[in-house]
Amino acid sequence: MDDLKFRRSMLAEPNYRDDAVNAAIKSDSAKQKFLQELDTLENKIEQAMHIPVPEDLANKLILRQTFASHQQQKRKTRVRLSMAASVALVMGLTVNFMMFSSTYKNLGDYAIAHVNYEASHFSNNDQPRVTLASLNKKMAKFKGSFDSTFGSLIFADYCRFDGSKSLHLVFQGQSSPVNIFILPDDEDIKFIANFANDKLQGRSLNFNHSNIILVGDKKEPIKQWQERVSDHITWSI
Amino acid sequence: MAKKQVRYEALVKALHADLYRYGYWLCHDKHVAEDLVQETFLRAWRALDSLKDEKAAKSWLITILRRENARRFERKRFDMSEYEEATIADVKATSSEQEIENYWLRGKIAQMPEEYREPLVLQVIGGFSGEEIAGILSLNKNTVMTRLFRARNQLKEAVDDEPKLRGLHNG
Repeated sequence: MDDLKFRRSMLAEPNYRDDAVNAAIKSDSAKQKFLQELDTLENKIEQAMHIPVPEDLANKLILRQTFASHQQQKRKTRVRLSMAASVALVMGLTVNFMMFSSTYKNLGDYAIAHVNYEASHFSNNDQPRVTLASLNKKMAKFKGSFDSTFGSLIFADYCRFDGSKSLHLVFQGQSSPVNIFILPDDEDIKFIANFANDKLQGRSLNFNHSNIILVGDKKEPIKQWQERVSDHITWSI
Repeated sequence: MAKKQVRYEALVKALHADLYRYGYWLCHDKHVAEDLVQETFLRAWRALDSLKDEKAAKSWLITILRRENARRFERKRFDMSEYEEATIADVKATSSEQEIENYWLRGKIAQMPEEYREPLVLQVIGGFSGEEIAGILSLNKNTVMTRLFRARNQLKEAVDDEPKLRGLHNG
């Protein structure tokens, strides 16, 4: 290893040693002297470079991080809170939607379900006990009135069935009660003029703001009932 | 969380001094160096989970600090470009011969071109090998070795000339 190369390599990396370097040092006293000088220089450089560090720097760094992560924590809490609020809102809306939206797609399904649900409350032998006056009082809500009861009216009252408020009339029929529903026009429920299942049949009438649905058993002359309703009802504005 | 805190505090205690010194030699200003170290450690805290190898922590932090320093120049392009000797703390008044010697040599180190000084600082303070310095500075190893040689050679020449210079100053 020649002198120049040795010096270059030692000045670049004073602590570097390999076999070639060690051999070169051993064989040459001038190189040993050079290394001694270099060692002194290295000490000086090291001392000069190790400028004093502010005593409290480590503590400051830890303190600042503590504050910063506290802020971060607060932000996280806020985010979590708003996420919880969103979830609660969505759940509320879902429940609302499920409770108050119609399960039934058309008037027929709705009416048959309603009749079946309340069938046990009414019997064809019940005495007529609703007067025309009280019927019309209830009809006022739907802006309609009847000029006669056109049959034996067993029951007339508001019903909330599957989210829609309707007026439920029950007449004495030939063998089983005839149900008439007056309910407001609902966009969610499709109007259907005739419907039936294995026991019941029904017809619907569409007026300005309301639908009138008649449901009776298969023997019942529903068409006749329908005519009676149309003949006797008048709508106010 | 607590574990992360412990890791962080250990990192701060072990490496803040070297990082501060490295920062100082980048910007020649105690306060700016302190700011740089603070920013560096804050960033380190946020990314601490990504640091898998504790051995790599030092070069990782140095890389963050270099980036922070570069960002400082993006923000304001004025000052800090020229080194002024006056910005180095004056220790003459109260200190020993050794400290005066240090002070003098600090001036010489500060006057060195940045490209020579930085590898030298990384080698002396950081204890990195030529290869590691090449990695941190994105240079090839031969370039780093040449710069290290030139840096130390300049300081050697300055020190060899010192008595003459000091003699002139003193009288």
